[in-house]
Amino acid sequence: MRAHRTLIVSLLLALAIAIPAVAVAKTVILDGSTSMLPLVQKLATAYHKATKKSAPKVGGGQSAIGISDAAGGKVDIGDASRDPIPGVDPKGLVFTKVARDGVCVITHPSNKIANMSQQTVTGIFTGAIRDWSQVPGAQVSGPIDLFDRDGASGTQDAFQNIFLGENLKISPSATPENSEGTEASAVAGDKQAIGFVSLDFSVGTNNVGYQGIPCTLANAKSGQYLGVRNFWFVTKGVPKGDAAKFIAWVTKPGNKTVRSIVSSNWIAIH
Amino acid sequence: MATSQPPVGTLAPAGLAVVRPRRQSTASWPLIDRVGYWLCWATGIALCAIALGIVLFMLIKGISYLQPSLFVHSPSPSVRQSEAGGFFDPILGTFILTALGIAIAAPAGVAIAAWLSEYARPRALARAVESAIEMIGGVPSVVLAIFGLLVFSQGFLGFLSQRAANGAVYGRSFFGAGVIMAVLALPLIVGATREGLAQVPDHMREAAYALGKTRASCIRHVLLPAIRPSIASGVVLGMGRIVGDTAIVTILVGVTLQNEAVGNVPVIGTLRGTGSTLTSYVYTNSPAGEGNAPQKAYAAAFVLLMIVLLLNALVTRLTGANERTGGRRRLAGLRALARSAWTR
Amino acid sequence: MRTDQRAERALGALAVIVLLLIAAMAVTVFGKAWPSFSHNGLSWFGSGGDVDTQLRAMEQASPLAGHSLYYFRAWPLLWGTLVTTVLAVVIALVVSILAAVFLTEFAPATMRRTLDPVIRLLAAVPSVIYGLIGILAIAPYINDHLISNARKASVGYVVQLNGADVATATVILAVMITPIMVALIAAALATVPRSWREGSAALGVNRWRTIIRVSLRTARPAIVAATVLATARALGEAIMLSMVSGGRGFAANPLDGITFLFEPVRPLAATIVQNAEGLTIPVLAHTIYAVAAVLLVSAAMLSLAGWAAKQPLKRYGIRA
Repeated sequence: MRAHRTLIVSLLLALAIAIPAVAVAKTVILDGSTSMLPLVQKLATAYHKATKKSAPKVGGGQSAIGISDAAGGKVDIGDASRDPIPGVDPKGLVFTKVARDGVCVITHPSNKIANMSQQTVTGIFTGAIRDWSQVPGAQVSGPIDLFDRDGASGTQDAFQNIFLGENLKISPSATPENSEGTEASAVAGDKQAIGFVSLDFSVGTNNVGYQGIPCTLANAKSGQYLGVRNFWFVTKGVPKGDAAKFIAWVTKPGNKTVRSIVSSNWIAIH
Repeated sequence: MATSQPPVGTLAPAGLAVVRPRRQSTASWPLIDRVGYWLCWATGIALCAIALGIVLFMLIKGISYLQPSLFVHSPSPSVRQSEAGGFFDPILGTFILTALGIAIAAPAGVAIAAWLSEYARPRALARAVESAIEMIGGVPSVVLAIFGLLVFSQGFLGFLSQRAANGAVYGRSFFGAGVIMAVLALPLIVGATREGLAQVPDHMREAAYALGKTRASCIRHVLLPAIRPSIASGVVLGMGRIVGDTAIVTILVGVTLQNEAVGNVPVIGTLRGTGSTLTSYVYTNSPAGEGNAPQKAYAAAFVLLMIVLLLNALVTRLTGANERTGGRRRLAGLRALARSAWTR
Repeated sequence: MRTDQRAERALGALAVIVLLLIAAMAVTVFGKAWPSFSHNGLSWFGSGGDVDTQLRAMEQASPLAGHSLYYFRAWPLLWGTLVTTVLAVVIALVVSILAAVFLTEFAPATMRRTLDPVIRLLAAVPSVIYGLIGILAIAPYINDHLISNARKASVGYVVQLNGADVATATVILAVMITPIMVALIAAALATVPRSWREGSAALGVNRWRTIIRVSLRTARPAIVAATVLATARALGEAIMLSMVSGGRGFAANPLDGITFLFEPVRPLAATIVQNAEGLTIPVLAHTIYAVAAVLLVSAAMLSLAGWAAKQPLKRYGIRA
């Protein structure tokens, strides 16, 4: 009897704690592009501070996962760092532009190449040029270790469109990496490496200028550096509810908090 | 372990030594036998050297990057290492996950072991459960992890993690990972408890029944207290397994740098939220993960290694204590290892 | 009596829950894996193109020319698993037999007292730490000293070499599975009846040959059981292999000679870990579950084999 009483009391207690815990406001969940991850996390924290709503939860997985999850209703907002591709993307998605971002070609810090021309970049990344001896300004020798991103990456899509053009693809012998962070650390760890990352992740590597313009935030903002791509929020249909409130706050013209966050490492457009 | 040569004619001591002749030089052996002998010596020394190398390497690298501030600061997302904080949240996460996993696995494991050992009717069911437990021990932890992800993403289990604003269940939380970790530790606890129960002499049970206790009461008041060291060693083995597992954490805990609680209720909010553990922190900071921070990875790996070695030493002491009080001759702690040798 | 029956039913129900758990897991995994198998048939296990390209097509929702979205040929992954597992188990078998013989027969008392915690330490180290040492210490060493530029250029048209490859993965995997095998084999060697060894000595056989001919032969069931256990462990190792085996679904080519050892592979379990974030894409999910189904079947078969191999051990009272 005593055992039954303690059992009932403890069950009631557990329910008393659990019910309010369960009846909690839902959070806005985002996932997708690893390039956008630092930016969106900063925006989420600032949103929580500014509006006292619960901070949106941000994940990674790369752009294709973000788009697919948004279309499948698994997350509220998908982060995509590549432009929408009609015919490939699921139907019914709405893309809202958030910011712009620079993409740099990077090499190992000891391989301080200041600049590469269009032909050199195309040659290296399509696999036509295979050895550093054929690259003007190279400070290492030996075969080129090419680092690519894997199939779900939006940065890879953006890089191919901007630097290689519509028809050329990156050489299939390149080693695919599955996030900005792993790409940056792979290039930083291999003297003969070359790859491409978002400007924000190019801290520990040597940024290679493109067609004479160094890859810096100032050049990207001024429009001189050509390797710039868009950041998008992807929703299934027009944004609704809490997700719509978050997107509205981020894209509100003249929102000083957002503008200062975005301008720190990216290009603000609102 | 035998520390001196026993006189010829006694039983071999409880240990891994075989009784060996007092003096035998290898000088009379043919060359090929001597080569074998030296190979054995070389392997033994090489194993010691590898273990020493691992410990020393982690010690040197870990201590050189370890600072007390790392233990109290939470990690913060930043590409620059000076702003990246410490690993307080991962340590807390390890602790939470292990506690949750053991809290579920220990009672369940002991109960199942008691059923298998004392009741076990119908026999077919008992054999099936035995094989199921063995098979759980053999399943790779990644498969358990993706199965857990599937289960906890279902709508009716949304209260165990969190929901998106459009109603989708996130699925990843400490609760989900804790349940799957419990499944991981279960075979170890069941095995250790069954071993212990098998060693309780029958006369203890018979005395209990003779005094009028029911079987359930006998298990609860006579047998389980008698095998406390076995249960403890099983629990600690399970803890070691949970602490060291990474695959389940990376897939099921929704690896975020800080432990993000859901809602305002203190403990349940953290359990429903996402976070990280030491293992996922090491994985993420290594070149295989996001952060390019080998220093932090080394420091965290050193802390992890110390925790695991501590648990290991605890198991040794517990099985050693069991040795002395046990009635039957058994082989040394390596048997505990042989028993617990499953996939991680 | 009633409390006893209630207790028995309650405990029995708990045990049945565990049984249902395994059954549910098997049913779910095979159920979600079925579309991938049904679209590919038995050629799922064959070779036909680059695994990474096929996974890429699934992630981008754009099928490869002439194939369905489910097109998948897992042979490079199976081959990678086979190569790393078999090589690691063979190395570990040799090393652990020698070590077990040393531990039981030749080691002086102090060495034995140190070897016991050493082996337990090696078994207790978490796999992520083995992976960390591999990727931060061993892989760069191999990259700098054993992979020359000429070797890289020789396969550069197909795949890039860095230190993460078959050799690193095999060596670390062998170190990980050796302690388990040593424990089992040493336990078995210690229970070889004294009279058998004394009889052999009485016939004038020296100690080494006694060990080979009598002790090891008697311990053969333990060696088999240890091998099965170690293979199960090696198959299930995901995190360490995803860090050091190279991460590319490439079928390392033994015809390349020594370069074969330096080519990247990606075993099945590591594939699951690396694609775990993509599980929300339906087609990719079915493919990954198919990989998990293959792992599950192998684990079940090894479990069965392990049970069968341990039966003779009961004769000697080794409860392993």
